[in-house]
Amino acid sequence: MPDPLQSSLRIAGAGLEAQSVRLRVISENIANSQSTGSTPGSDPYARQTVSFDNELDRAAGLSLVRVKGIGVDDAAFKIEHDPGNPAADEKGFVKMPNVDVLTELADMREANRTYEANLQVAKQSADLMGMTVNLLKDA
Amino acid sequence: MSQPYVLQLATERTQWLSARQTLIASNVANANTPAYRATDLQPFSAVLDSTQVSMVTTDPAHMTPSQDDFTAARVVESDPTDETVSGNSVQLEQEMIKLGDVSRDYSMGTNIKRAIHQMMMSALK
Repeated sequence: MPDPLQSSLRIAGAGLEAQSVRLRVISENIANSQSTGSTPGSDPYARQTVSFDNELDRAAGLSLVRVKGIGVDDAAFKIEHDPGNPAADEKGFVKMPNVDVLTELADMREANRTYEANLQVAKQSADLMGMTVNLLKDA
Repeated sequence: MSQPYVLQLATERTQWLSARQTLIASNVANANTPAYRATDLQPFSAVLDSTQVSMVTTDPAHMTPSQDDFTAARVVESDPTDETVSGNSVQLEQEMIKLGDVSRDYSMGTNIKRAIHQMMMSALK
């Protein structure tokens, strides 16, 4: 059986990785919140979603986390009237991405919070190992 | 010479705390995983109760309970109102409190070890 504190570090690392993928997808969504198609009537950027899955490392008996997949939000696109836009159809309507920046910002805060929590766990696991090693110091 | 009981106790305690730290790490890492249930260890007092009386093995066929049984994880019962729509029962705040508990108790464990060691050294010198 591997050292539980080493395992904690591995799990926290998996958590950090998963949350950073989430942050990457959020930033892609925000960056593309105004990205329309290039030809008249074409579809704009579609919002991406991340889902997580619990991954069991059977050899070590650890419950890690991994990104299950990056999906596409199939919510309807917003329609705006902007005849000058290259993506406008013959009536002057443009399909805008189904990204709600406010939702993305809220999601970003949550990802941030979970990232910090994982970081805290990693820091503390290292501290605990340090405490044991320090037993040798004044021996 | 067998090691002093206090030293053994402190060792068991830190082992239990390390195992608990792993579960806290799993809970925090899976804080956003759908249908994940928060887990924790059975309390240390329960571990202690089950290990206090150890039977002497007088025959090779006698079995001793494995160490893994004592640190068996249990699923934490959660208030259904605190559960997210996705069926996740991890409460990040609660995990952070547990993290603090582990840190404090681990520090106590190592300091007890240090104190016992100093006492033994003072007898030697």
